[in-house]
Amino acid sequence: MANPMRIRASAKDGVTEVRVLMSHVMETGQRKDASGALIPAHFITELTAKHNDKVVLSAQFGPSVSTNPYLAFKFKGGAKGDKVTVGWTDNKGESRADEVQIS
Amino acid sequence: MSRFSKTLNALALAGAMAAVVAPAVALDRYQGVGRAATAAEVKAWDIDVRPDFTGLPKGRGTVDQGIEVWEKNCASCHGAFGESNEVFTPLVGGTTVDDIKTGHVKALITGSFPQRTTLMKVATVSTLFDYIQRAMPWTAPKSLKPDEVYAVVAYLLNLAEVVPADFELSDQNIAEVQARMPNRNGMTTDHGMWPGASAAAGGIGNGGKPDTRNLACMKDCKKDVEVVSFLPAYAQDAHGNLAEQNRPVGQTRGKHTGDPSQDAAAATPSVAAAALALANEKGCMACHGVANKIVGPAYSDVAAKYKGQADAGTRLMAKIKAGGQGAWGAVPMPPQGHVKDEELKQLVQWILDGAKAQ
Repeated sequence: MANPMRIRASAKDGVTEVRVLMSHVMETGQRKDASGALIPAHFITELTAKHNDKVVLSAQFGPSVSTNPYLAFKFKGGAKGDKVTVGWTDNKGESRADEVQIS
Repeated sequence: MSRFSKTLNALALAGAMAAVVAPAVALDRYQGVGRAATAAEVKAWDIDVRPDFTGLPKGRGTVDQGIEVWEKNCASCHGAFGESNEVFTPLVGGTTVDDIKTGHVKALITGSFPQRTTLMKVATVSTLFDYIQRAMPWTAPKSLKPDEVYAVVAYLLNLAEVVPADFELSDQNIAEVQARMPNRNGMTTDHGMWPGASAAAGGIGNGGKPDTRNLACMKDCKKDVEVVSFLPAYAQDAHGNLAEQNRPVGQTRGKHTGDPSQDAAAATPSVAAAALALANEKGCMACHGVANKIVGPAYSDVAAKYKGQADAGTRLMAKIKAGGQGAWGAVPMPPQGHVKDEELKQLVQWILDGAKAQ
Protein backbone atom coordinates (compact mmCIF):
# COMPACT_ATOMS: atom_id res chain seq x y z
CA MET A 1 0.00 0.00 0.00
CA ALA A 2 1.42 3.29 -1.08
CA ASN A 3 1.74 6.27 1.19
CA PRO A 4 -1.31 8.54 1.43
CA MET A 5 -1.66 11.47 -0.94
CA ARG A 6 -1.69 14.97 0.42
CA ILE A 7 -4.75 16.75 -0.88
CA ARG A 8 -5.95 20.23 -0.21
CA ALA A 9 -9.19 21.58 -1.62
CA SER A 10 -10.38 25.10 -1.02
CA ALA A 11 -13.53 26.76 -2.39
CA LYS A 12 -13.59 30.44 -3.23
CA ASP A 13 -16.15 32.38 -5.27
CA GLY A 14 -17.77 29.23 -6.57
CA VAL A 15 -14.50 27.71 -7.79
CA THR A 16 -12.73 24.93 -5.95
CA GLU A 17 -8.97 24.64 -6.23
CA VAL A 18 -7.58 21.20 -5.55
CA ARG A 19 -3.89 20.53 -4.98
CA VAL A 20 -2.57 17.02 -4.73
CA LEU A 21 0.86 15.67 -3.89
CA MET A 22 1.04 11.98 -4.71
CA SER A 23 3.61 9.64 -3.29
CA HIS A 24 4.79 7.33 -6.05
CA VAL A 25 8.17 6.21 -7.44
CA MET A 26 7.04 6.78 -11.06
CA GLU A 27 9.74 4.46 -12.37
CA THR A 28 9.98 4.76 -16.17
CA GLY A 29 11.35 1.32 -16.94
CA GLN A 30 14.32 2.88 -18.73
CA ARG A 31 16.69 3.21 -15.80
CA LYS A 32 19.26 0.67 -14.81
CA ASP A 33 20.39 -0.10 -11.32
CA ALA A 34 23.99 -0.31 -10.13
CA SER A 35 24.39 -3.84 -11.47
CA GLY A 36 23.14 -2.85 -14.91
CA ALA A 37 19.77 -4.53 -14.69
CA LEU A 38 16.71 -2.62 -15.87
CA ILE A 39 14.52 -1.28 -13.09
CA PRO A 40 11.01 -2.42 -13.98
CA ALA A 41 8.52 0.27 -14.94
CA HIS A 42 6.19 1.35 -12.18
CA PHE A 43 4.11 4.43 -12.80
CA ILE A 44 0.61 5.82 -12.41
CA THR A 45 -1.54 5.26 -15.48
CA GLU A 46 -4.89 6.64 -14.52
CA LEU A 47 -6.08 9.31 -12.18
CA THR A 48 -9.60 10.31 -11.30
CA ALA A 49 -10.80 13.18 -9.16
CA LYS A 50 -14.38 13.28 -7.91
CA HIS A 51 -16.45 15.99 -6.32
CA ASN A 52 -18.82 14.07 -4.08
CA ASP A 53 -19.61 11.29 -6.60
CA LYS A 54 -19.26 13.28 -9.80
CA VAL A 55 -16.05 12.90 -11.78
CA VAL A 56 -14.48 16.35 -12.30
CA LEU A 57 -11.10 15.30 -13.63
CA SER A 58 -9.91 12.19 -15.34
CA ALA A 59 -6.32 11.90 -16.50
CA GLN A 60 -3.94 9.43 -18.05
CA PHE A 61 -0.44 9.52 -16.65
CA GLY A 62 2.66 8.03 -18.18
CA PRO A 63 6.32 7.38 -17.48
CA SER A 64 7.25 11.00 -18.24
CA VAL A 65 5.60 12.26 -15.07
CA SER A 66 8.00 12.93 -12.22
CA THR A 67 8.47 11.07 -8.99
CA ASN A 68 5.96 12.14 -6.33
CA PRO A 69 3.78 14.04 -8.81
CA TYR A 70 2.18 17.33 -7.88
CA LEU A 71 -1.16 18.12 -9.49
CA ALA A 72 -3.30 21.22 -9.15
CA PHE A 73 -6.61 21.90 -10.86
CA LYS A 74 -9.80 23.93 -10.43
CA PHE A 75 -13.40 23.08 -11.03
CA LYS A 76 -16.57 25.11 -10.87
CA GLY A 77 -18.84 24.41 -7.96
CA GLY A 78 -18.06 22.84 -4.64
CA ALA A 79 -18.89 24.16 -1.23
CA LYS A 80 -17.31 23.92 2.14
CA GLY A 81 -17.72 20.48 3.61
CA ASP A 82 -18.12 18.73 0.25
CA LYS A 83 -16.02 15.67 -0.39
CA VAL A 84 -13.19 15.60 -2.91
CA THR A 85 -11.76 12.21 -3.73
CA VAL A 86 -8.62 11.64 -5.76
CA GLY A 87 -7.63 8.15 -6.82
CA TRP A 88 -4.97 6.64 -9.05
CA THR A 89 -4.15 3.26 -10.51
CA ASP A 90 -0.67 2.28 -11.63
CA ASN A 91 0.64 -0.17 -14.20
CA LYS A 92 1.12 -2.85 -11.59
CA GLY A 93 -2.54 -2.69 -10.72
CA GLU A 94 -1.97 -0.98 -7.39
CA SER A 95 -4.32 1.82 -6.54
CA ARG A 96 -4.92 4.38 -3.89
CA ALA A 97 -7.72 6.83 -3.20
CA ASP A 98 -7.79 9.61 -0.65
CA GLU A 99 -10.57 11.89 0.40
CA VAL A 100 -10.67 15.37 1.88
CA GLN A 101 -13.33 17.90 2.74
CA ILE A 102 -13.33 21.21 0.92
CA SER A 103 -12.29 24.01 3.21
CA MET B 1 40.71 51.70 1.80
CA SER B 2 40.55 55.18 3.18
CA ARG B 3 41.77 56.07 6.57
CA PHE B 4 38.21 56.92 7.52
CA SER B 5 36.90 53.40 6.91
CA LYS B 6 39.87 51.93 8.75
CA THR B 7 38.95 53.99 11.75
CA LEU B 8 35.37 52.81 11.44
CA ASN B 9 36.51 49.20 11.22
CA ALA B 10 38.65 49.59 14.28
CA LEU B 11 35.77 51.13 16.18
CA ALA B 12 33.36 48.45 15.04
CA LEU B 13 35.81 45.73 16.02
CA ALA B 14 36.46 47.28 19.38
CA GLY B 15 32.73 47.71 19.87
CA ALA B 16 31.99 44.13 18.93
CA MET B 17 34.65 42.77 21.22
CA ALA B 18 33.64 45.01 24.05
CA ALA B 19 30.01 44.01 23.68
CA VAL B 20 30.98 40.42 24.34
CA VAL B 21 33.46 41.07 27.12
CA ALA B 22 32.03 44.02 29.03
CA PRO B 23 30.35 47.11 27.59
CA ALA B 24 31.74 49.29 30.38
CA VAL B 25 35.30 48.74 29.11
CA ALA B 26 34.44 50.29 25.77
CA LEU B 27 33.00 53.33 27.45
CA ASP B 28 36.13 53.77 29.53
CA ARG B 29 38.47 53.37 26.60
CA TYR B 30 36.49 55.42 24.11
CA GLN B 31 35.24 58.33 26.09
CA GLY B 32 32.23 59.93 24.48
CA VAL B 33 31.74 57.12 21.96
CA GLY B 34 28.52 55.18 22.30
CA ARG B 35 26.75 53.97 25.39
CA ALA B 36 25.90 50.64 26.94
CA ALA B 37 22.95 48.89 25.28
CA THR B 38 19.85 48.95 27.40
CA ALA B 39 18.24 45.72 28.55
CA ALA B 40 15.35 46.32 26.14
CA GLU B 41 17.71 46.78 23.22
CA VAL B 42 19.57 43.58 24.02
CA LYS B 43 16.28 41.76 24.36
CA ALA B 44 15.13 42.94 20.94
CA TRP B 45 18.24 41.46 19.34
CA ASP B 46 18.47 38.36 21.48
CA ILE B 47 16.07 36.15 19.56
CA ASP B 48 18.15 33.05 18.90
CA VAL B 49 16.77 29.66 19.81
CA ARG B 50 19.43 27.12 20.65
CA PRO B 51 19.44 23.33 20.36
CA ASP B 52 18.87 23.07 24.12
CA PHE B 53 15.85 25.39 23.59
CA THR B 54 17.43 28.32 25.38
CA GLY B 55 15.67 31.39 24.08
CA LEU B 56 12.57 29.52 22.94
CA PRO B 57 9.51 31.72 23.42
CA LYS B 58 6.42 30.27 25.08
CA GLY B 59 3.62 29.42 22.73
CA ARG B 60 1.73 26.74 20.87
CA GLY B 61 0.40 26.03 17.42
CA THR B 62 -1.41 23.21 15.67
CA VAL B 63 -0.84 21.70 12.25
CA ASP B 64 -4.17 23.11 11.07
CA GLN B 65 -3.27 26.62 12.16
CA GLY B 66 0.03 26.07 10.40
CA ILE B 67 -1.76 25.35 7.13
CA GLU B 68 -3.46 28.75 7.31
CA VAL B 69 -0.23 30.63 8.00
CA TRP B 70 1.49 28.55 5.35
CA GLU B 71 -1.07 29.32 2.65
CA LYS B 72 -0.87 33.02 3.40
CA ASN B 73 2.88 33.51 3.83
CA CYS B 74 4.89 30.54 2.67
CA ALA B 75 3.15 28.60 -0.10
CA SER B 76 3.85 31.14 -2.83
CA CYS B 77 7.54 30.26 -2.74
CA HIS B 78 7.71 26.84 -1.10
CA GLY B 79 4.62 25.25 -2.62
CA ALA B 80 1.49 24.08 -0.87
CA PHE B 81 3.26 21.04 0.55
CA GLY B 82 6.78 22.43 0.88
CA GLU B 83 7.59 20.37 -2.18
CA SER B 84 8.11 23.19 -4.69
CA ASN B 85 11.39 23.31 -6.54
CA GLU B 86 10.59 26.52 -8.37
CA VAL B 87 11.96 29.26 -6.16
CA PHE B 88 13.92 27.32 -3.58
CA THR B 89 14.87 23.69 -3.24
CA PRO B 90 12.16 21.62 -1.60
CA LEU B 91 11.79 21.82 2.16
CA VAL B 92 10.16 18.45 2.60
CA GLY B 93 10.80 15.04 1.12
CA GLY B 94 13.38 12.31 1.18
CA THR B 95 12.77 11.28 4.76
CA THR B 96 11.20 7.97 5.70
CA VAL B 97 9.60 6.44 8.76
CA ASP B 98 12.80 4.46 9.19
CA ASP B 99 14.86 7.64 9.29
CA ILE B 100 12.69 8.94 12.13
CA LYS B 101 13.51 5.77 14.08
CA THR B 102 17.24 5.77 13.44
CA GLY B 103 17.91 9.50 13.38
CA HIS B 104 19.97 9.09 10.22
CA VAL B 105 18.58 10.05 6.81
CA LYS B 106 19.38 7.15 4.54
CA ALA B 107 18.77 9.09 1.32
CA LEU B 108 21.73 11.34 2.19
CA ILE B 109 23.97 8.29 1.90
CA THR B 110 22.30 6.37 -0.93
CA GLY B 111 21.37 9.44 -2.97
CA SER B 112 17.97 7.94 -3.65
CA PHE B 113 16.30 11.33 -3.39
CA PRO B 114 17.29 13.82 -6.09
CA GLN B 115 17.85 16.71 -3.70
CA ARG B 116 18.84 17.43 -0.15
CA THR B 117 15.73 18.91 1.36
CA THR B 118 15.71 20.96 4.53
CA LEU B 119 14.00 18.23 6.51
CA MET B 120 16.62 15.74 5.33
CA LYS B 121 19.47 17.90 6.57
CA VAL B 122 18.33 19.75 9.65
CA ALA B 123 19.38 17.99 12.82
CA THR B 124 17.72 20.17 15.41
CA VAL B 125 14.11 21.34 15.46
CA SER B 126 15.29 24.49 17.22
CA THR B 127 17.06 25.48 14.00
CA LEU B 128 13.79 25.26 12.09
CA PHE B 129 12.10 27.41 14.68
CA ASP B 130 14.94 29.90 14.90
CA TYR B 131 15.30 30.31 11.16
CA ILE B 132 11.60 30.77 10.49
CA GLN B 133 11.25 33.18 13.37
CA ARG B 134 14.25 35.27 12.36
CA ALA B 135 14.16 35.18 8.56
CA MET B 136 10.73 34.20 7.29
CA PRO B 137 8.72 35.21 5.37
CA TRP B 138 11.42 36.56 3.10
CA THR B 139 9.52 39.77 2.44
CA ALA B 140 8.73 40.45 6.09
CA PRO B 141 11.15 38.70 8.42
CA LYS B 142 10.35 38.60 12.15
CA SER B 143 6.72 39.36 11.37
CA LEU B 144 5.36 35.99 12.59
CA LYS B 145 4.18 35.76 16.16
CA PRO B 146 5.62 32.91 18.26
CA ASP B 147 2.34 30.97 18.04
CA GLU B 148 2.42 31.27 14.26
CA VAL B 149 6.01 30.03 14.14
CA TYR B 150 5.01 27.03 16.28
CA ALA B 151 2.13 26.37 13.91
CA VAL B 152 4.29 26.57 10.77
CA VAL B 153 6.93 24.30 12.30
CA ALA B 154 4.19 21.86 13.27
CA TYR B 155 2.87 21.88 9.70
CA LEU B 156 6.34 21.29 8.22
CA LEU B 157 6.95 18.45 10.65
CA ASN B 158 3.58 16.98 9.72
CA LEU B 159 4.49 17.13 6.03
CA ALA B 160 7.62 15.16 6.85
CA GLU B 161 5.46 12.76 8.89
CA VAL B 162 7.39 13.51 12.05
CA VAL B 163 4.19 14.49 13.86
CA PRO B 164 0.57 13.46 13.22
CA ALA B 165 -2.02 15.75 11.59
CA ASP B 166 -3.76 16.58 14.87
CA PHE B 167 -0.54 17.56 16.60
CA GLU B 168 -0.12 20.73 18.61
CA LEU B 169 3.49 21.88 18.94
CA SER B 170 4.36 23.90 22.03
CA ASP B 171 7.35 24.87 24.12
CA GLN B 172 6.38 21.97 26.39
CA ASN B 173 6.58 19.14 23.85
CA ILE B 174 9.18 20.44 21.38
CA ALA B 175 11.86 18.36 23.09
CA GLU B 176 9.86 15.20 22.33
CA VAL B 177 9.73 16.27 18.68
CA GLN B 178 13.51 16.68 18.71
CA ALA B 179 13.76 12.98 19.57
CA ARG B 180 11.92 12.22 16.31
CA MET B 181 13.88 14.48 13.92
CA PRO B 182 14.94 12.39 10.90
CA ASN B 183 18.55 13.60 10.82
CA ARG B 184 19.03 14.18 14.55
CA ASN B 185 22.03 11.83 14.69
CA GLY B 186 23.40 12.97 11.37
CA MET B 187 25.22 16.05 12.61
CA THR B 188 28.81 15.90 13.72
CA THR B 189 30.76 18.74 15.24
CA ASP B 190 33.95 16.73 15.39
CA HIS B 191 35.69 18.62 12.65
CA GLY B 192 37.77 21.72 12.15
CA MET B 193 34.88 23.97 11.20
CA TRP B 194 33.78 24.02 14.80
CA PRO B 195 35.83 26.01 17.24
CA GLY B 196 37.01 25.09 20.67
CA ALA B 197 37.97 21.95 22.47
CA SER B 198 37.10 18.47 21.29
CA ALA B 199 33.76 16.94 22.12
CA ALA B 200 35.49 14.54 24.50
CA ALA B 201 36.94 17.47 26.42
CA GLY B 202 33.55 19.11 26.79
CA GLY B 203 33.76 21.42 23.79
CA ILE B 204 31.96 21.23 20.49
CA GLY B 205 34.87 21.09 18.06
CA ASN B 206 37.90 18.91 17.54
CA GLY B 207 40.45 21.32 18.91
CA GLY B 208 40.84 23.15 15.64
CA LYS B 209 42.38 20.24 13.77
CA PRO B 210 41.71 20.69 10.08
CA ASP B 211 39.78 18.06 8.16
CA THR B 212 42.26 17.95 5.34
CA ARG B 213 45.99 17.56 5.36
CA ASN B 214 47.57 19.32 2.43
CA LEU B 215 51.29 18.75 2.53
CA ALA B 216 52.97 21.20 0.21
CA CYS B 217 55.86 19.64 -1.70
CA MET B 218 58.92 21.64 -0.72
CA LYS B 219 61.78 19.54 -2.10
CA ASP B 220 63.09 18.29 -5.44
CA CYS B 221 61.36 21.23 -7.04
CA LYS B 222 61.99 21.75 -10.76
CA LYS B 223 64.26 24.66 -11.48
CA ASP B 224 63.21 25.49 -15.02
CA VAL B 225 59.75 25.96 -16.35
CA GLU B 226 59.18 23.54 -19.17
CA VAL B 227 56.26 24.09 -21.48
CA VAL B 228 55.07 20.61 -22.35
CA SER B 229 51.88 21.44 -24.21
CA PHE B 230 50.17 24.41 -25.76
CA LEU B 231 47.13 25.17 -27.84
CA PRO B 232 47.58 24.36 -31.53
CA ALA B 233 47.77 27.45 -33.74
CA TYR B 234 44.36 26.92 -35.28
CA ALA B 235 42.74 26.97 -31.84
CA GLN B 236 44.55 29.98 -30.45
CA ASP B 237 42.27 32.61 -31.92
CA ALA B 238 39.04 30.85 -31.04
CA HIS B 239 37.96 34.09 -29.37
CA GLY B 240 39.72 36.47 -31.74
CA ASN B 241 42.81 38.43 -30.89
CA LEU B 242 42.68 38.96 -27.13
CA ALA B 243 45.20 41.78 -27.34
CA GLU B 244 42.70 43.83 -29.33
CA GLN B 245 39.90 43.12 -26.91
CA ASN B 246 41.61 44.45 -23.81
CA ARG B 247 42.79 47.87 -22.84
CA PRO B 248 46.56 48.38 -23.19
CA VAL B 249 46.62 49.72 -19.61
CA GLY B 250 45.68 48.26 -16.28
CA GLN B 251 46.21 44.86 -14.73
CA THR B 252 44.51 42.74 -17.35
CA ARG B 253 46.22 42.84 -20.71
CA GLY B 254 45.22 40.73 -23.63
CA LYS B 255 47.68 38.18 -24.92
CA HIS B 256 48.14 38.35 -28.65
CA THR B 257 46.34 35.34 -30.02
CA GLY B 258 45.90 34.16 -33.56
CA ASP B 259 48.05 34.75 -36.62
CA PRO B 260 51.60 35.50 -35.42
CA SER B 261 52.32 37.54 -38.59
CA GLN B 262 50.12 40.24 -37.08
CA ASP B 263 52.56 40.51 -34.22
CA ALA B 264 54.72 42.89 -36.24
CA ALA B 265 51.74 45.06 -37.07
CA ALA B 266 50.68 45.05 -33.46
CA ALA B 267 54.23 45.90 -32.40
CA THR B 268 54.54 48.99 -34.66
CA PRO B 269 52.69 51.44 -32.42
CA SER B 270 54.65 50.18 -29.47
CA VAL B 271 57.86 51.68 -30.94
CA ALA B 272 56.47 55.09 -30.07
CA ALA B 273 55.30 53.81 -26.70
CA ALA B 274 58.77 52.41 -26.01
CA ALA B 275 60.40 55.73 -26.94
CA LEU B 276 58.01 57.60 -24.67
CA ALA B 277 58.86 55.19 -21.86
CA LEU B 278 62.54 55.73 -22.56
CA ALA B 279 62.09 59.51 -22.51
CA ASN B 280 60.39 59.17 -19.15
CA GLU B 281 63.12 56.92 -17.85
CA LYS B 282 65.94 59.24 -18.95
CA GLY B 283 64.33 62.26 -17.37
CA CYS B 284 63.59 64.13 -20.63
CA MET B 285 59.96 64.57 -19.71
CA ALA B 286 60.87 66.61 -16.64
CA CYS B 287 61.65 69.63 -18.85
CA HIS B 288 59.97 68.77 -22.19
CA GLY B 289 56.32 68.07 -22.86
CA VAL B 290 55.07 66.21 -25.90
CA ALA B 291 52.86 69.11 -27.03
CA ASN B 292 53.46 71.74 -24.37
CA LYS B 293 56.37 73.88 -23.31
CA ILE B 294 57.56 73.21 -19.76
CA VAL B 295 61.13 74.45 -19.16
CA GLY B 296 62.36 73.41 -22.55
CA PRO B 297 60.43 73.39 -25.84
CA ALA B 298 57.63 70.96 -26.62
CA TYR B 299 58.65 68.00 -28.79
CA SER B 300 56.02 68.93 -31.32
CA ASP B 301 57.67 72.36 -31.69
CA VAL B 302 61.10 70.74 -32.10
CA ALA B 303 59.73 68.40 -34.75
CA ALA B 304 58.16 71.35 -36.59
CA LYS B 305 61.40 73.35 -36.49
CA TYR B 306 63.53 70.55 -37.93
CA LYS B 307 60.94 69.28 -40.36
CA GLY B 308 62.32 68.39 -43.79
CA GLN B 309 66.00 68.81 -42.80
CA ALA B 310 67.96 65.75 -43.80
CA ASP B 311 70.69 66.11 -41.19
CA ALA B 312 68.30 67.02 -38.37
CA GLY B 313 68.80 63.63 -36.65
CA THR B 314 72.57 63.88 -36.32
CA ARG B 315 72.47 67.55 -35.34
CA LEU B 316 69.85 66.96 -32.66
CA MET B 317 71.74 63.98 -31.28
CA ALA B 318 74.86 66.09 -30.93
CA LYS B 319 72.94 68.93 -29.31
CA ILE B 320 71.33 66.64 -26.76
CA LYS B 321 74.61 64.98 -25.92
CA ALA B 322 76.53 68.23 -25.46
CA GLY B 323 73.77 70.36 -24.03
CA GLY B 324 73.13 73.88 -25.21
CA GLN B 325 71.59 77.27 -24.74
CA GLY B 326 70.08 79.94 -26.94
CA ALA B 327 68.20 78.01 -29.58
CA TRP B 328 64.94 78.04 -27.58
CA GLY B 329 65.61 80.76 -25.01
CA ALA B 330 67.88 81.52 -22.08
CA VAL B 331 67.32 78.37 -20.05
CA PRO B 332 70.24 76.01 -20.74
CA MET B 333 69.88 72.30 -21.45
CA PRO B 334 72.49 70.32 -19.53
CA PRO B 335 74.62 67.76 -21.41
CA GLN B 336 72.94 64.33 -21.50
CA GLY B 337 76.00 62.08 -21.45
CA HIS B 338 74.19 59.29 -19.65
CA VAL B 339 72.01 58.47 -22.68
CA LYS B 340 73.55 55.82 -24.91
CA ASP B 341 73.94 56.61 -28.61
CA GLU B 342 71.50 53.89 -29.56
CA GLU B 343 68.85 55.21 -27.19
CA LEU B 344 69.55 58.72 -28.30
CA LYS B 345 68.90 57.73 -31.89
CA GLN B 346 65.62 56.14 -30.89
CA LEU B 347 64.57 59.25 -28.98
CA VAL B 348 65.50 61.68 -31.71
CA GLN B 349 63.74 59.63 -34.33
CA TRP B 350 60.67 59.57 -32.11
CA ILE B 351 60.78 63.35 -31.61
CA LEU B 352 61.17 64.04 -35.32
CA ASP B 353 58.30 61.66 -36.04
CA GLY B 354 56.07 63.88 -33.95
CA ALA B 355 56.60 62.35 -30.48
CA LYS B 356 53.44 60.28 -30.57
CA ALA B 357 52.39 58.40 -27.44
CA GLN B 358 51.31 55.28 -29.36
